[in-house]
Amino acid sequence: MHSRFYLSLLLVASVVVIGFMGLATFREMSTEWQQHQAEYKDYLIANAKDDAAKKRAENIETGIRQIFIPSLKKADRCTSCHIGVENPMMTKVDHPYQVHPGNHLANHSVAKFGCTICHYGQGRATNKSQAHGGERGENYWDYPVIPAKYVQSACARCHDMKMLADEGVTNIVKGEQLFREKGCQGCHKVKGVGGDLGKELDEIGSQPLHYFPMGHVKGKLTAYNWIKQHFDDPRAIVPTSEMKLTLKGDEADQLTTYMFSMRSDEIPSKYKLIKNLPNTNRSGKELYTIFCSACHSDGQTAVFEEVFDRSVPAITNPDFLNKIDDKTLRVFVDEGRSGTQMTAWKHTASGVKKDDVDKIMAYLTQNRSETVDPFSYAQFQRDPEKGKAIYDRRCAFCHGEKGKGGGRKLGLNLRNDAVQKIVDPAFLATTVRDGRKGTPMPAFGAEGEGLTDQQIADVVGYVKTLGKK
Amino acid sequence: MNLFTLRALLSALLFTSLLFPFSAIAQEQQMTEEEEEAAYEAQLKLGEEYYSVNCRMCHGKDGDGKGFVATIKYAEKKGRVLTTYPRDFTVGLYRFRSTSTGCLPDDQDLKTTIKGGITQSFMPPQDGISDEELAAIVEYIKTFSLRFEDEDPCDVIAAKKPGYVGSDKSIDKGKVVYNDMKCWECHGQLGAGDGPKSLDIKDDWGQQLLPFDFVTGELKRGSTPENIYMTFTAGLDGTGMPSYEDSLSEEQRWNLVSYTLKLMGKIGANKDAGGH
Repeated sequence: MHSRFYLSLLLVASVVVIGFMGLATFREMSTEWQQHQAEYKDYLIANAKDDAAKKRAENIETGIRQIFIPSLKKADRCTSCHIGVENPMMTKVDHPYQVHPGNHLANHSVAKFGCTICHYGQGRATNKSQAHGGERGENYWDYPVIPAKYVQSACARCHDMKMLADEGVTNIVKGEQLFREKGCQGCHKVKGVGGDLGKELDEIGSQPLHYFPMGHVKGKLTAYNWIKQHFDDPRAIVPTSEMKLTLKGDEADQLTTYMFSMRSDEIPSKYKLIKNLPNTNRSGKELYTIFCSACHSDGQTAVFEEVFDRSVPAITNPDFLNKIDDKTLRVFVDEGRSGTQMTAWKHTASGVKKDDVDKIMAYLTQNRSETVDPFSYAQFQRDPEKGKAIYDRRCAFCHGEKGKGGGRKLGLNLRNDAVQKIVDPAFLATTVRDGRKGTPMPAFGAEGEGLTDQQIADVVGYVKTLGKK
Repeated sequence: MNLFTLRALLSALLFTSLLFPFSAIAQEQQMTEEEEEAAYEAQLKLGEEYYSVNCRMCHGKDGDGKGFVATIKYAEKKGRVLTTYPRDFTVGLYRFRSTSTGCLPDDQDLKTTIKGGITQSFMPPQDGISDEELAAIVEYIKTFSLRFEDEDPCDVIAAKKPGYVGSDKSIDKGKVVYNDMKCWECHGQLGAGDGPKSLDIKDDWGQQLLPFDFVTGELKRGSTPENIYMTFTAGLDGTGMPSYEDSLSEEQRWNLVSYTLKLMGKIGANKDAGGH
């Protein structure tokens, strides 16, 4: 009895094993790419114009196709499924049989370039989900296939912007334009040039997946979605972000496209075609836009920034420039202002060439309209005690009792080095007397609040003691 | 000191203490109109003093909102840039009232705003202000508008929160009201202040107003259910926000409070959305 039971158990087990082996064989014989190639063959035979074409189609061999390009370190098997990508007949069919849209392959033959050099994804994989990555909502690949709307990012790896603009490659060109116009380099360094508030962007397009905190990303967890959604609303993706930028509509897609052109892996020079040299001779105005405008906008009025929780000064307003001398202004630009978001812009800190900083200075100071009646601060005997009484009554409201500013207070911090050590007290006195147009700082002199020069000197004398407390 | 003198002293003390209330009443009765006038003048003087230090810079010497600071540009986190104007007191229009629309505010309304400040604006809280100063500054601000002389104050609207506020049922009902009353036209479907009409609103002074984004911040009036209810009931006079005292029942308004709290993330699922 016992042996009979075990015999039947063995029989059942054998049937199951043979069944699985059969299934495995069947799956191996009918993979995705084999099905696609069979369907492609059928389509060609059915639509053949003449017997010769039919015969050619019948002779197509089934098998994995691989494009091996040692200099690009690529082995792309994409054409195993995308088998009609170079066949101009395949216009009225769906993916994956469709011919490559546009005339891109005319200059970028599949044999020379492969596919993943532009489209990314895993070239060695032989099924869709592993080749494209992120098919099932989650994504485990660092570089899944790039969505079509960002694919122009690859163009800029070999070509210059001017050439791309001439060729009508609009997304990436507009993205690069936005990068300059929105002043991204005011906070982010690219090739060692730019501000220090944000992360360096040189390799942003080739950062692995774990570089991007995915906690708040909606949809597929890819770097593409992270960057795009981060442009739509930075604080929805990184709650503590201080990034000021928010983009509308297509702009986020365009800038995202540009971001993915910044990669660490260099393409061999024989693949590159650069027709125009990069524009290194930018005007002061352009440089101001690139490096300053992100925070200062046009610089005509002061704006209280909720993100920074402080006012950003109006630096192109003539009223400010008339009062400040070149030397002091240059110290602010070169050294930044400690305790604020204003970082140092001297060459060693920001990578901006000294000539370019000179140009920005010239651009700013051209807005000077007149010279101001100077305040002869040194002539007055200052009485900080009296100054304190005036300060508490007139200034503390905005600058805070201890001169710290900040919080929801409109006034600037009066305790930092800029006010305490760098600027001439006469500049402070002039500012108190005449106010600062384009900002909330009112004029306290005879024409405004009615303080006498002596009183103003007392107040400035008191302000100068704030740093020591 | 013997027992007798002690007793006499004690009884004298008792007697005077009994008399004291009478004497106070007598004094009050004696306060003539002139004296009242003088007390009022003194109060105004204190108010003026406080105003000139703490308020005048923005609201102006004449209370017309044209102080030296003038307008302030304010860039929100979402990138909208607003221009904020200090309140013009000469018109006598106030947003934060607990009286019906068109009415003058109650003294307590003004005191609350002055003492607490207004979040998301540059009206700072006055932490150290004394009750005396607060009363004085209210009286002083009233002098800027003739309305306070001409009109009698209205009754204060009571806001007593019913138990159902915040329940799921109340939120659902409130959502219906939000859709039916077209709140979303200005405030947006999710209350982010981005509705289709959000860019077309002007206040009574002709300045552009942006509907408040109550998803990210505390409400300017305050974020308690009672504050929100009062906004729906009294309206925010001078702005695009009308009163719904006549067009919505009390219950509907409280349901709308529930839904607003939900949009603000104060109750329900939104509450845990922030943490990660």
